[in-house]
Amino acid sequence: MTFYVILLSYPTEITVSKSKVPIFAIALLAIIFAVGLFVVGYDQGHIFSVVLGEQAYEDLYIHELTHDMRHAAGFPCH
Amino acid sequence: MKTVIFLAIVLVSGAIAGTIHGMTNLVMVEPYLDEAIGIENQNLFASGEEEDTPQFWVEYNSYRDWQKGGQVLAGAILGTSVGALFGIVYALSRHALPGKNDLRKTLVLAGIMWLTIYLIPFLKYPANPPTVGDGETVVLRAVLYLSFIAISGFGAVGLYQLYKRLKQNTKVLAFVGYAVFIGIVFALMPPNPDEVTAPMDLVDGFRAMSAVAVSVFWVSVAVVLGSLWHKFRPDSEITLAKNQ
Repeated sequence: MTFYVILLSYPTEITVSKSKVPIFAIALLAIIFAVGLFVVGYDQGHIFSVVLGEQAYEDLYIHELTHDMRHAAGFPCH
Repeated sequence: MKTVIFLAIVLVSGAIAGTIHGMTNLVMVEPYLDEAIGIENQNLFASGEEEDTPQFWVEYNSYRDWQKGGQVLAGAILGTSVGALFGIVYALSRHALPGKNDLRKTLVLAGIMWLTIYLIPFLKYPANPPTVGDGETVVLRAVLYLSFIAISGFGAVGLYQLYKRLKQNTKVLAFVGYAVFIGIVFALMPPNPDEVTAPMDLVDGFRAMSAVAVSVFWVSVAVVLGSLWHKFRPDSEITLAKNQ
């Protein structure tokens, strides 16, 4: 959807405000939203398990790093 | 739309507001977390799972420092994440939001999002300090919490769609419809399955400070994004000077 607002700033200036939001930008922000939410709210070793394997579920580095914010922001923690 | 500027101000505003959230937590919420973890430790000693030794406290202080330091970094990550959602919704709804300038518009939107995706889910599934919560139910509780946030958020989008289609003198019906919808969902969703065994003055104090800190985040992200949008105008592309 495209919205055009034409403001005639009398007498010397015309400003065209074009507020179409690129799909690319929306998709990128949506990915950042999902990844950030998972990291802070839900990771239990999943991300580091990619490189550390099963040990990551014991070490829980991200869980411990985000532990206090997880509680304070209302996410179930343990 | 100046895409790079749009992305930059959205991400910066979320990161700044999230950092403020993390620092607020350090001051307001951290004392309750320390008290709750102290109770957890006493329970561990009483049950014999851990021994009250100098070695225990060295390890404890080590990971508590990691957790407390992580509070601000986690705040910046969560803030960037939620700020990204805020930026998407603001960019798509800016033309329809009430308010004479971007700051007022972002504050209105932050108020709506705070109510629908934070406060209402919080009233159903309030935050809990350590010592509350059975590890066996954490996945169920996570699914319930996230589901309620999603249902309430999409319900608010439905409210907006209905609001647009109703005539001026009947628009209040959209708000009534959302209230009825979320009231039914609130009643039907299962409660938190875990019993609260910690002292209620600790739990209530923790929840109150947690809610204040999250509210500080929403005000912060609105103020920063509204100010940056007003300054950089990512939606304004063409300015033509005309000779008189």
